[in-house]
Amino acid sequence: MKKVISNKIIRKRARRRVYVIGALCVLLVLIAIFAKQLSPHDPNVTSALLIRRPPSKEYPFGTDSYGRCVLSRVLAGAGTTIFATTVLVAVTFVIGTVLGIISGYYGGLADTLIMRVTELFLAFPQMVVAIAVAGILGGGLKAALIALGVTAWTGYAKIARSHTLSVKNENYIAAAKLAGLRGWQIICFHILPNTLFPLVTNALTQIGTTMIGISGLSFLGLGVIPPQAEWGSMINESRAYIQLAPWAVLYPALATVITIMLFNYLGDAVMDLRKAERRN
Amino acid sequence: MSSTNDVPVLEARDLVRTFHSKDREIRALDHVSVRLMPGKIMGVVGESGSGKSTLIRHIACLEKPDEGQLFCCGQEYTGRNAAFAGRHMQMIFQDAYGSFDPKMCFAKSIREGRNGRKGSDGKKAEDDPALLRNLLEKVHLDESFLKRYPGSLSGGQCQRMSIVRAVYSGARILLCDEATSALDVASQAQVIELLKELKEEYAISMIFVSHDLGVVSQLCDEVMVMKNGRVVEHGDCLEVISHPKEAYTRELLDAVMEVGDETGIHEHSHSDTPEWKETDLV
Amino acid sequence: MAENVLEIRDLSLSYGDDDIVRNVNLSVKAGEILCIAGESGCGKSTLLKAIHGMDAINVTAGDIVYEGKSILGMPASERRRMMGTGIGLIPQNPQGSFNPLRSFGKQMKETMESHGMKFDRTEMVRLMDSMGLPDGDKLISSRPFELSGGMNQRVAIVFSLLLQPKVLLCDEITSALDVTSGKMVIHEVESYAAHSNAAILMVTHHLGIADRIADTVAVMNHGEVVEYGPVSKVLYHPEDSYTRMLLEKIPKIRREAVS
Repeated sequence: MKKVISNKIIRKRARRRVYVIGALCVLLVLIAIFAKQLSPHDPNVTSALLIRRPPSKEYPFGTDSYGRCVLSRVLAGAGTTIFATTVLVAVTFVIGTVLGIISGYYGGLADTLIMRVTELFLAFPQMVVAIAVAGILGGGLKAALIALGVTAWTGYAKIARSHTLSVKNENYIAAAKLAGLRGWQIICFHILPNTLFPLVTNALTQIGTTMIGISGLSFLGLGVIPPQAEWGSMINESRAYIQLAPWAVLYPALATVITIMLFNYLGDAVMDLRKAERRN
Repeated sequence: MSSTNDVPVLEARDLVRTFHSKDREIRALDHVSVRLMPGKIMGVVGESGSGKSTLIRHIACLEKPDEGQLFCCGQEYTGRNAAFAGRHMQMIFQDAYGSFDPKMCFAKSIREGRNGRKGSDGKKAEDDPALLRNLLEKVHLDESFLKRYPGSLSGGQCQRMSIVRAVYSGARILLCDEATSALDVASQAQVIELLKELKEEYAISMIFVSHDLGVVSQLCDEVMVMKNGRVVEHGDCLEVISHPKEAYTRELLDAVMEVGDETGIHEHSHSDTPEWKETDLV
Repeated sequence: MAENVLEIRDLSLSYGDDDIVRNVNLSVKAGEILCIAGESGCGKSTLLKAIHGMDAINVTAGDIVYEGKSILGMPASERRRMMGTGIGLIPQNPQGSFNPLRSFGKQMKETMESHGMKFDRTEMVRLMDSMGLPDGDKLISSRPFELSGGMNQRVAIVFSLLLQPKVLLCDEITSALDVTSGKMVIHEVESYAAHSNAAILMVTHHLGIADRIADTVAVMNHGEVVEYGPVSKVLYHPEDSYTRMLLEKIPKIRREAVS
């Protein structure tokens, strides 16, 4: 009896958590979109008179060594980081999932080929490959995205493949084959609808990691090119005079930590909700 | 029914299939042949691992045999795909829920069974609302059930839906894999009656795989006994069950426990005490 | 005849908000076999789980009495000691009750020693052999994940019999087995009852098994016992319409009339 009731409560709590964290994430995205309207100053205007001013009424987060408003730059950076992450996760998710499902459903040569390539990419640490590729491509946000994308799809492919394998042997797939459906029809009408939810949940949990990757590359000078605002590169720029103007490092760092935590929580919350729903 | 009464609707000749696992080979099908005559029900009985389910999956082209040939109404279809086999035959599975996509309502699944493929004339079959209504009436399911999803029906209702899908698809051969084994006795009896009626009304032939000799003897015209991938006995259902020739068939029949059979009444009196060693007593 | 080893008095059970079993009265004597028959969802398995003491099931009314003592009022420690050697259960799905990575021999030895009994390897091999598991010596040192579901089921039955319980609860023990091995298992349970003078409570949807080994039969439908009595009455002269329906709907083997 205890079990049954607690199951209901767990489900209710899990759902509430998803709503709350989801709302916070939406808020974050809205801030990123309306960054221009919310910024008190132009994030790229420098001023020799305002170098490294501590937080004040006019500059709530202070200014950096070029006299730029840190708050405005953090807001502008939100757009860059969140937009880049979303694009990267979406593109790699689609590519990885399509390859994974093809590999799992058809098996044979396609499976062997795709899985060997996947393993090849998984053999190196993701960040090392990304640094190498970004270095070759010569920096810039686009190069950083490509560099991270080169390895990021493999994870989605592996998971899509394993989910496909478990659905593939269900009787309704046999029934669909006997109904005369072709491979791509079975994939679109039966396999995708029955695997999509867990795959999307997994992609959500990857947003945080991807954000760390983008900020990391920028921090190393391989991502966004200054003066474009990005949290990782802001931290890197201000690191040298951290004793003189700690606020110029503190605020972009805080923004990074909070955003990554929120998106990680969102992924976890959706995962928990899925577990709770499955238990019924 | 056509005049080709002496041509089997379905024939399998010398099917062989070997599965390889790490350290050994398993002969799942060892030169198995089947001849199913029009309008007949062929029972296939055997214990788990005898190859009876593997056999019908091969007949439906869901798996490829290592050797052997398949014929449908005299026409060879060895090596064709399941889409081709599906024009003539449909499967009914033991797990009725698992045979429907959980994300699809019955109406969609059933329509897909009929319109999924192009027929031999290159056109897709059109919906036939009258036939569908007839079939639903036959299986005692309301038309409103079509809007529902698999999880909301009982096992028996779901199984009857899958029979509707199979017959509505236009196939006239049903391959039943333990189709009644997971059902309650009442639903089981209902499904058996239903299959008998469909056989008469729509001239349907069936291969009925089951481990339940009672069900097989009620439903089937012929029976095939399988063991370790081989057919050990084959013949008229009543004949084989009444006068089994093979020791294995007799063993199977002996193991069945029925209410009111002679052994039951005999054993029930506890007259013959089985062996139990002295040391076992507490 | 002896006293009732196990008595179920006016028992009502619920699971969550649902009432599963209502006002059930049953009893078994030593050496007697009681079969509880019914279809899925009739509450027969819940009844067994309640006797075995599963937490999730709520006793809303009534009592379960073992050897004259109510087991519902017993402290948890005493009840745990009684399980296995006093009241044993053969579950429907044994996989969950084994550690899949430890050998059967080790698990059995541990269980028996925790109940203060000695592990008899030859006896275990003999029991396995009689249930169609030859080569017992090898099987004892193998691990649960290496065997099929049917084989695990039979080893679980061997486990329960070795503990020599005075009351043995069996939950659909043949449903995962082939007919031939099912018959051997039923035979073994029957002879255990006769020789160890143990009471057996067997839950099954299979009336043939009830006819084969039971002394008394209780038919359940929607959580209530609709008919209860000796086999000769319930299965051969049933009064309840539900029992009659069950008996009629079982597909009987059709044979040529013996001339």
